[in-house]
Amino acid sequence: MTAFRKLLVTTEDIVLELGQPVATQVRRASAAAVIRNPWAGRGVVDDLQPEVEEIAGGLATELTNRLIQALGGVDRVESFGKAAIVGLDGEIEHGAALLHTPYFGHVIRHLVAGESIIVFSDERSGAGAPLTVPVWHKNAAATRSHYQTVQVRVSDAPRPDEIVVVVAGASGPRPNSRIGDRTTDPDVQVADTSGGAA
Amino acid sequence: MKIRKIVTIVEETHSEGGRPVENPTRTAVVLAVIENPWAGQGFVEDLAPGIDEVAPQLGQLLSPLVVEALGAPVEAFGKAAIVGLDGEVEHGSALIHTLKFGDYFRKAAEATTLLPAVEKRAPAGCTFDIPMKHVTDATIRSHHQSVEVRIADAPRADELVVGLAAAAQGRPQARLAPLSSEQ
Repeated sequence: MTAFRKLLVTTEDIVLELGQPVATQVRRASAAAVIRNPWAGRGVVDDLQPEVEEIAGGLATELTNRLIQALGGVDRVESFGKAAIVGLDGEIEHGAALLHTPYFGHVIRHLVAGESIIVFSDERSGAGAPLTVPVWHKNAAATRSHYQTVQVRVSDAPRPDEIVVVVAGASGPRPNSRIGDRTTDPDVQVADTSGGAA
Repeated sequence: MKIRKIVTIVEETHSEGGRPVENPTRTAVVLAVIENPWAGQGFVEDLAPGIDEVAPQLGQLLSPLVVEALGAPVEAFGKAAIVGLDGEVEHGSALIHTLKFGDYFRKAAEATTLLPAVEKRAPAGCTFDIPMKHVTDATIRSHHQSVEVRIADAPRADELVVGLAAAAQGRPQARLAPLSSEQ
């Protein structure tokens, strides 16, 4: 696996929300690795596959294990997400290459015992830019209570020839989530709403 | 003390200056976002009652958390207080600059020196650097370092962020001559 320059693990335990105790305790966490962009300095590389095969699995293993540790065990990983921040000399496609193949995603699902497709965000930016990483339920992506985000920022990365790769998750729903779910929604037609055609 | 949330950051450096760091360096920060105990009270002359109530609670809460997050003996340490826009910097200083706060961390870290600190007033999402020095000899140059921190939604105007930082070693690839070599 590729060497990384830095590894950053962040957790957030939310105790109060607008002064109200959080009914279901939740910890949000992220693990971020700063790696050299394997395609840096090579112009436009047509076939990204060899580096994906070489790097993505090891990265996913390291980051997912760190996330599991930060959340307190596989059972506590209720939701997950992934992200890449590509340094300014790279292509978004480089970040996408590392995130959006089975070499990365299958490893995460396997390690956290999840089945959902994994939600993501990506961006090209300078060092120190914050990126908001979405997470959703690892087994039932449409679980509304579990839609939330984790913000990731590495003060000195990515350099122009680096990529920050992230696996994020949470141990429960949004703090004090209370907007129901598909099973409790009324049968709403667009005409019943204030949106749609005027 | 009203805690809104607790944030933990652990940072490892595996390579620096293009060279692998033989034993990756490890730094941990734990931060509590709390309600400013003096919020909404105008200018409070005597801060002692608030200090007596809140500072020991913060020290007892944060010290074991940062030592646990580091997962190694603490070699360098530091502290921080970031005051929301409606507060005084003095409120942050009050909570971190008495023995009622720092002694808990010194004990947990088996430390004997003064804790270097950052204190400032700033909006939510500000970045701040927590300085760290060696836990038993503040002149050890290899251990002078800092760690950058940011919480997206804190401190609110009536809040404070109070934190502790710990490092398991000096800077990655530290190679400055010691102070004694210049004396």
